[in-house]
Amino acid sequence: MTGPEPDEPGSGLESVARVVALEGGVPWLEPEPKASCGGCLSLAACGAKGGGRRALAARRFPLAGAPALRVGERVVVGLPEGAVLRASATAYAVPLLLMVGAGITARGLGAGDGAGALAMLGGLAAGLLIARIIAGLLLGRGDLSPRYLRRVVEGGACSRD
Amino acid sequence: MRDVILLMVSATLVNNVVLARFLGLCSFMGVTTKVDTAVGMGMATTFVITVSSMGDWALEAFLLAPYDLGYLRTVTFILVIAAAVQFTEMVIRKVSPALFRTLGIYLPLITTNCAVLGVALLLVEGRFGFVESTLFAFASSLGYSLVMVVFAGLRERIALAEVPPLMAGPPIGFITAGLLALAFMGFSGISAN
Repeated sequence: MTGPEPDEPGSGLESVARVVALEGGVPWLEPEPKASCGGCLSLAACGAKGGGRRALAARRFPLAGAPALRVGERVVVGLPEGAVLRASATAYAVPLLLMVGAGITARGLGAGDGAGALAMLGGLAAGLLIARIIAGLLLGRGDLSPRYLRRVVEGGACSRD
Repeated sequence: MRDVILLMVSATLVNNVVLARFLGLCSFMGVTTKVDTAVGMGMATTFVITVSSMGDWALEAFLLAPYDLGYLRTVTFILVIAAAVQFTEMVIRKVSPALFRTLGIYLPLITTNCAVLGVALLLVEGRFGFVESTLFAFASSLGYSLVMVVFAGLRERIALAEVPPLMAGPPIGFITAGLLALAFMGFSGISAN
């Protein structure tokens, strides 16, 4: 019996990133900021932007398996279908469910606000620990790594290599 | 326990943050073109709303209410939300840098989501205890995520349909959102029974 086929790159989320460094032949990319609302005419005034310079630098990532790229080049990278779902479930759902479960249990046992708060914080800490273990497994399988899709051609359509 | 379940069902379905209270409409229309992005934004928002509600409750109970500082509530809650976003970002970066790179883009954007502040202000109106307050916030944000995912699924299907050119894009999106809100009005019958 074989496992499920790996998802096709490009069938999931796509994003534009810029090459900011080359280390040992491996390009390091920085994602371009996006707004949560998709952007509108009042974007400049509403402040719904994707973080500052420091926040972007923290999101730099290496891109293995890409063709030769130059610093400053813009490329389209993609996450496989379901990667965000798996990552979200790991990072958010597991800690939240344990925290809420602990709170409901404490409430069911007749705990007051102080004991309930302690139980919930304990659940949150346990959830984050479990999330760390699951994230390690996902990373080992390569489920969280962005993949190279194509170059961005400035002022024209994107080319597929 | 029955009270807690009723509180959570009411917050998730009957008084849905997006479709009954009309909060968080920016992200509702902007991040629902794909189910994956909707799930990412929905879960990140759920986490931040729940965590920030704990800080909001503590500040309201121990500072704002006892010293009659209600006029500082909005500013204080915005500060708590921004701190909760930073905290979440730091924790996820520590837990797994790979997870942070995958999901980090959603986090700074949540600060500008009015649903987060809206839920915090609703908590004050509710006058709940700590656990009930956190569960209410969790259930409200779960309602937000549910609507985001349902709407994203509908929009993915609409993208495959032959929509007249004049109606394509935002117009058909708004009509679908209206129909979804009408469908959610059906849940208001639960409270009468």
